[in-house]
Amino acid sequence: MKNRAYLKMAVNILLHSKLRSWLTIIGIVIGIAAVVSIISLGDSMEQDVQSQMNEMDLTSITVTPGYTKATSTMPGARGGARGEGGGSITSSIADDTELTDDDEDALKNIEGILYISGQVSGNEAINYTGESATLSINGVDSQVWQYMTTSDLETGRLLEPADKYVAVIGNSVATTIFDREIGVNQVVSINGKSIRVVGILESEGDRSDSEIVMPIDAAVEVIEDAESDEFDSIVAKTENSDMVDPVMEEMEEKLMLSRGIYNEDDRDFSLTSSASNAESASEMMESMTFFLSGIAAISLLVGAVGIANTMFTSVIERTKEIGTMKAIGAKNRDILMIFIINSALVGFVGGTLGVILGSIATSIFPMLGVTIMRRSGTSGVVLSPTLMLYGLIIAVAIGMISGAIPAYKASKMRPADALRYE
Amino acid sequence: MPTIETNPVIKIHDAWKIYQMGEVEFAALKAINLKINEGEFIVILGPSGSGKSTLMNLIGCLDVPSKGIVCLNGENISTMDESELSNIRGKTIGFIFQSFNLLPTLNVLENVLLPLEFQETDPSKARERAKKLLDIVGLADKLHNLPSQLSGGQRQRVAIARSLAVNPQIVLADEPTGNLDTKTGSYILEFLDKLHREEGKTIIIVTHDREPVKYATQVVHIKDGILEKIEHIEKQQ
Ligand SMILES: Nc1ncnc2c1ncn2[C@@H]1O[C@H](COP(=O)(O)OP(=O)(O)OP(=O)(O)O)[C@@H](O)[C@H]1O
Ligand SMILES: [Mg+2]
Repeated sequence: MKNRAYLKMAVNILLHSKLRSWLTIIGIVIGIAAVVSIISLGDSMEQDVQSQMNEMDLTSITVTPGYTKATSTMPGARGGARGEGGGSITSSIADDTELTDDDEDALKNIEGILYISGQVSGNEAINYTGESATLSINGVDSQVWQYMTTSDLETGRLLEPADKYVAVIGNSVATTIFDREIGVNQVVSINGKSIRVVGILESEGDRSDSEIVMPIDAAVEVIEDAESDEFDSIVAKTENSDMVDPVMEEMEEKLMLSRGIYNEDDRDFSLTSSASNAESASEMMESMTFFLSGIAAISLLVGAVGIANTMFTSVIERTKEIGTMKAIGAKNRDILMIFIINSALVGFVGGTLGVILGSIATSIFPMLGVTIMRRSGTSGVVLSPTLMLYGLIIAVAIGMISGAIPAYKASKMRPADALRYE
Repeated sequence: MPTIETNPVIKIHDAWKIYQMGEVEFAALKAINLKINEGEFIVILGPSGSGKSTLMNLIGCLDVPSKGIVCLNGENISTMDESELSNIRGKTIGFIFQSFNLLPTLNVLENVLLPLEFQETDPSKARERAKKLLDIVGLADKLHNLPSQLSGGQRQRVAIARSLAVNPQIVLADEPTGNLDTKTGSYILEFLDKLHREEGKTIIIVTHDREPVKYATQVVHIKDGILEKIEHIEKQQ
């Protein structure tokens, strides 16, 4: 028998299957839908984390006042990690503790630290062409900030040592927050001080887009509750990422010494490294994807057993037909091929429906709040064509594998016995 | 070389079919010896349970004997495996069954095409042949009907067309008229008789009914698995 004839017979059997057999396809549909959508969700989260890790420098350590055991919570990870404003982590328990330039001095001579910068931050009203918006301001050490930041410039320049009443602004500040765009060399006013914009950063798709970076001296002047020689955070940058752990340990020792703390439990400051945040984020993502894939794999397995079951029933129901086909010249191979192609088709139909369901599920994920892990501004989750193809291939393979034993059984039937079957 | 005037298409020598049912053995066929020559019209006659269908299975290469030899065109099928058997079946034997055994999900034309597809006949030639046969049995207007949309007699005519699709040497019919009324039954038998007379096909009919005997050249009586007697019938032209 020729392949075309096999396909014709297999399609004929499929089209005439009972509702019961169609129902077992659901197992495959759900399995494939779950697998493809989980994988694509996991992929896009992974990509998110990856792209964040890439632009992140993994060599920065942030000191913040106050101490909590669980400092590295996900959403705040970025702020400290970017080395330009640990602001978000200062959910300080102890407002009375401050970081001072004594602390900074104490840390200066640690081996392995390349740059160190005390920073202040605060929210102030920014006035521009008659409009006003309250934005976050970071005051940084203009001597070293240009070496520590990982942000890329869109236009203009970064802060330079001689700068004072100037600012580098995030992309949204320049383009969307005010009706009129802010360009390089334009002047904004913060608490009565005129600040000239010298650079505009590229859009990062996160919080830093609506921030303003200034030399710390000017920042202290414009931020109401900031004082000179007091910092909201101290950011240190190590020579390389291998140095992070030893440097962190030494920083802790030095700070305890300079702050006169003798007991670990009395610490009034926290140290966070960008690397540990990034690691825990991607580990968490990985284990979640792994766990969900496990569930999807189980549903696929259930689907496979369902197909095998249907195929067994279908073969038994068709015993007499198989006998007839053999009597009129069907070879074992012919019967085997017809039933294997039939179950491959079942897999194909299930896979197609599964991929469609998966795409729908994936496209509504964002609406279901699955975006908790993701930041606004990044594109939504989309099934890649490759993943769709894999989904289909897996479904067809599962169909063929689970149909193989029943098909083999059918092919081995002795015609005399099969014809006798009622 | 053996010296025989006529060439037996089928030669059965001391064939037994023994069914094993748990501890008990049951001999459905006992020491059968039979020769069927090309171009004969054989009626195998016997009461229910006598072993007719079992014998037909051996003649039709649907089964092999437990003991003894069954030869088809000089080839011993007793030692052949399934794929060799199916090959021989598909080329040389056309089957007609009591319960028609059409494939319920294929239409009339597709049912008749099926044996040709198993033989990998060129599709356009196959269609031509199938249509011609369905025309001969008077079903040219039912090509696209499903078997369930036909009467019993029409179904058996489809089955006849299917049995002739590959132009087999032997047509083997097990109770072909068993499910039909007398009139339709006669039509089927006359059709087979015509095939025998005009195309020289070897026809073998298995039945418990004496009706087909009038067309036979040879009647084989079987009872309790034993071949009781073989009746040669001389026919006047
Ligand atoms: N697969 C089998 N296992 C056990 N016994 C069988 C089997 N096939 C046939 N038999 C027995 O062999 C005997 C002959 O059966 P067979 O079907 O050849 O009868 P038959 O002459 O065709 O009868 P009928 O006219 O009713 O069709 C019966 O007694 C039957 O019970
Ligand atoms: Mg019988």
